[in-house]
Amino acid sequence: MSNWEEETKIPLITSCKQAARLVSIAIERRLTVRETLTMNIHLWMCKTCTRYRNQIRLLRQAFTRHEEALGNTPASECDCLNAQSKQRIKDALAKSR
Amino acid sequence: MSNKKEPEIKQGPVSDPSSWVDKHGDYLYRYALMRVRNREAAENLVQETFLAALTARKGFTGRSTERTWMVGILKHKVIDTYRKSFREKSISEIQTDEEQTVDSFYDAVGNPGKYPKDWLPDPEKLLSSKEFWEVLKGCMAKLPERTAAAFSMRELDDLDTAEICKELSISPTNLWVILHRARLQLRECLERNWFEKKEDNV
Repeated sequence: MSNWEEETKIPLITSCKQAARLVSIAIERRLTVRETLTMNIHLWMCKTCTRYRNQIRLLRQAFTRHEEALGNTPASECDCLNAQSKQRIKDALAKSR
Repeated sequence: MSNKKEPEIKQGPVSDPSSWVDKHGDYLYRYALMRVRNREAAENLVQETFLAALTARKGFTGRSTERTWMVGILKHKVIDTYRKSFREKSISEIQTDEEQTVDSFYDAVGNPGKYPKDWLPDPEKLLSSKEFWEVLKGCMAKLPERTAAAFSMRELDDLDTAEICKELSISPTNLWVILHRARLQLRECLERNWFEKKEDNV
């Protein structure tokens, strides 16, 4: 667990595993100066983790726009309540009025 | 407050409840479906939302749109579901459950064939692709239940660590572990099911 808490003793040169964690933690809280340095040194050297970081960024960007995407789905798609369900809900509503 | 209402609305800001299902049903359903794991659960959430809206409709001020108001109600219903699923199992059980979520990302190190791809897409094009959203939803549905719950609160609802931990009664450390795993898994799933297949499309 210690990897997740604020930690100042992590080595400056670190593994991909640790670097990927830092990339993720950086989204959740402010990294310490040491952690930032460690992450950046690793990303500077490591194409894999840099790509990982970019992918995560894209994912996050996607999620901020999901409501837009919900509105765009045309009504003909299967992601809709079917007629039966609609009727059931209407009945439930009518009953409790 | 005493602004003129739009002409079609005569009896206060809320429209006739019998029109709700046709007006908002599909949207709320998709909204719920993004956050829970199956159609039945999503459908029930929609129904509960309408029923709660019915009870609360006097309190609706019309300051937001009717739909936004209902989405707000639905959001709370969804979080209730999440809370329940977290209450059922202790966090240590959750972690063992998800232990086998192999971080194949790490296997990629030193194995160029498995390097993460340069997704490098035109984000605009990607995010407006309906197919992409289908795949993304499919990938979310493959996450373990509680991982998906925590992840949805974080990424879909944009709640912060403190809020999520309070709702789910877990520690920040636990949450961060869960979120990190969720990201690794989603990344992998998307890479396999979208980016490797759709390279020409993106």
